[in-house]
Amino acid sequence: MYQALLTRRYLSSKVMPLLASLAVMLCTAMVLITWSVMGGFLERLLSAGRNVMGDVAVSWGTIGFAHADDLIARLEKHPDVAAAAPMIETFGLISLPGGRTEPVIIKGIEGSSFDRVTGFAEALWWKPVAKPLASDQEGVDIRLRDENRRVLGRMHADGLAMMASPDPVSGRDWPDPRPGVVLGIELSRYNIRDGDSGTYTPGAPIVKTADGRSDVQRSLILPVNGEVVLNMMPLDSSGRPLGGLDAVTRAFPVVNEFRTGLYEIDKGTAYVELSSLQRALRMDAARRIVPRPQGERAAPAFRIETDPSTGEERIVRTEQEMIDDPARVTHVLVRAKRAPAEGGDPRALALVVRQVYAQFADDHAGKVPAAPGTVLAGGHARIAESGNAVAIRTWEDQNRTFISAVKKEIGLVLFVFTFISITAVFLVLAIFWSMVSEKTREVGILRAIGASRRGVAFVWLAYGGVIGLVGSALGLAAATVIIRNINPIHDWMGKTLGLYAWDPQVYYFSEIPSRVVPLHAAIVFVGGVASCVLGALIPAMRAARMDPVRALRWE
Amino acid sequence: MPFIEAVNLHKTYRLGRVDVPVLRGVDLSIEKGECLAVLGASGSGKSTLLHLLGGLDRPDREPTARILHEGRALDGLSARGLDDFRAGHVGFIFQFYHLFPELTVLDNVVIAAMVRAGASYASVRAQARARAAALLDTAGLGHRLRHRPSELSGGERQRVAIARALINRPEVLLADEPTGNLDRATGRRILEFLEGVRARERTTVVMVTHDPSIAERADRVVTLEDGRLARPA
Ligand SMILES: Nc1ncnc2c1ncn2[C@@H]1O[C@H](COP(=O)(O)OP(=O)(O)OP(=O)(O)O)[C@@H](O)[C@H]1O
Ligand SMILES: [Mg+2]
Repeated sequence: MYQALLTRRYLSSKVMPLLASLAVMLCTAMVLITWSVMGGFLERLLSAGRNVMGDVAVSWGTIGFAHADDLIARLEKHPDVAAAAPMIETFGLISLPGGRTEPVIIKGIEGSSFDRVTGFAEALWWKPVAKPLASDQEGVDIRLRDENRRVLGRMHADGLAMMASPDPVSGRDWPDPRPGVVLGIELSRYNIRDGDSGTYTPGAPIVKTADGRSDVQRSLILPVNGEVVLNMMPLDSSGRPLGGLDAVTRAFPVVNEFRTGLYEIDKGTAYVELSSLQRALRMDAARRIVPRPQGERAAPAFRIETDPSTGEERIVRTEQEMIDDPARVTHVLVRAKRAPAEGGDPRALALVVRQVYAQFADDHAGKVPAAPGTVLAGGHARIAESGNAVAIRTWEDQNRTFISAVKKEIGLVLFVFTFISITAVFLVLAIFWSMVSEKTREVGILRAIGASRRGVAFVWLAYGGVIGLVGSALGLAAATVIIRNINPIHDWMGKTLGLYAWDPQVYYFSEIPSRVVPLHAAIVFVGGVASCVLGALIPAMRAARMDPVRALRWE
Repeated sequence: MPFIEAVNLHKTYRLGRVDVPVLRGVDLSIEKGECLAVLGASGSGKSTLLHLLGGLDRPDREPTARILHEGRALDGLSARGLDDFRAGHVGFIFQFYHLFPELTVLDNVVIAAMVRAGASYASVRAQARARAAALLDTAGLGHRLRHRPSELSGGERQRVAIARALINRPEVLLADEPTGNLDRATGRRILEFLEGVRARERTTVVMVTHDPSIAERADRVVTLEDGRLARPA
């Protein structure tokens, strides 16, 4: 009781403890900002994978494997699996209309199944939107405008179907829908990203219609009738380049663009309609002519025969065989029923997928790659990587080195910062030590009017606790304000001071994570208060041990 | 049975290797309601005696000493019990007032009630504040409850300290040169105030002084000399 009274009065009449509060505020804010930004980075890194590849991917090199339809059907029957989708992933070069050529990851997908696994419809950028983005406070997003609604609606449908519908207005005059390409939004560099609002404006000059209105449809994404050319290398089912080293070149109209928020992916990925990519890469169903095998060894396609009558040598084809090569894909992507954020565990799903795949591989023995085994690691079954089995990986597995480096780094930085924050403990200790000396006589008075040793100690502990509470509360408030506005603050620093700490090329995301995890805030808060109480502990014990008579004689 | 009885009090302070005996066998008994003055030269051990009587310090273990309040032995009390004893039965008044500079006049008085009530203070809060205000009012400080001690004169501060000593209705007031820091006229007014209080609250008073003219006002005077009590000549 009296402790509260004294604490209140000391707090309002002393400057030193307020300085201690300030130090606590800075330390807690520093730790929480770091934790939020780095933890948010990790969380985004982990969850972004879901928009790129679902939760688990089954893959077999660039050659691909057959009977994916059967595998998908089997997977989708499993209660833990929400959806599965086929995909082809290959590398190529993209030629953009400006004459620029860039290396690109080309992914063949079916819009609808890919959407079910990754939420592709949401990732498509050009679509009508009703609400501005949280970061777009002024509502500058051109997708909000009513006059663009119809065009954007059609672009969205086209993007999802991966087909460019013919359109006389835009000059697309082909008779039927044509397979199109969906580019990562940072790839073409025709869009200008507005850092404050997080929106994109087509950078191409806006074409005006006859009646003077801006023709968004003609201007969006790429100039009129924008086509890009993809160059890629087809491989046959044994991994040999088909048709020598000549690249396959195909032109695709751009039907939409997508944004995952992962800068690397938004800058370097192009989605193409699956069956057309299969055809281009000769991964579609085909009848193949191969030499009939002779014993163990594959026979050469031709052999030299000597005519027994003339003794002339001539070249003849060996006996041949027709093989039906079913269509192939390189990946099957699987989405779990429960998102990792809701407690789902992608690793557990990977084990489920492995089991389904093992059955599938048994049933197609010799025609599809083998299933991987499992190993025990840290008491948990994990999928073993092996060169002659398909890879079944989670996003975290695929980015293991990077993600675990980030995890380690977070731990390290938090450790270092927490260590630095221990200065606050010593600061409180020093300030309280001198305050206890200064207030020795008052300790004596308290004892004279009947306060116990414990009660006197508690005066200082309560005081330390309150300083911790005030400091930590201020620190949390400051950290929350800063984190919530970290992107504008960063942009402002960049513009006025030329300080750019966050480079999207390095950090994958175009924005700095800006969410405070309540649990982390609570831990930092408790830590802040506890360190103040800890700092006050020794001075409090000193006050408690004072001889009251000597304390009263103190000059 | 005397109200307070002290038998064979010894107190030795240890300064490095040297033992400084201050009290060397003090025997004292005080009747209820009595006002006792303890005279003695500076350094004779008056404050020390007062601290022992109030349970703020303990006498030497050897030889055995006894301090009894209404027959209850202080040496039998635990540290905690002694704290509670001070809070409930004794009121200390010091030469240098010893107020809390950060607290208001009212809070300086109320804090003693807080210490005594501990966790149950909430239930006696209104009562304690009312009594503190009333005590300060009789001390002539009713209009200065919100002031800080630094804004008061010495005499006013001592009256606040007396009000603090009285708030828990102690049976005994232990005053250590309450006027030692004040001019004669102010000192007299403080003594008159104390006498009024004693008459009203029926408290026993032990007052330490080195001024015989002040001691005269007491019912009885004892003198400390060479660590023992002697009747005045
Ligand atoms: N904590 C202590 N350690 C050592 N010596 C002490 C201590 N407390 C008191 N003394 C000594 O004991 C003697 C008596 O002190 P005390 O304060 O009781 O005297 P006093 O009679 O009250 O004097 P005054 O009239 O000046 O207040 C003094 O010589 C003092 O130096
Ligand atoms: Mg003295």
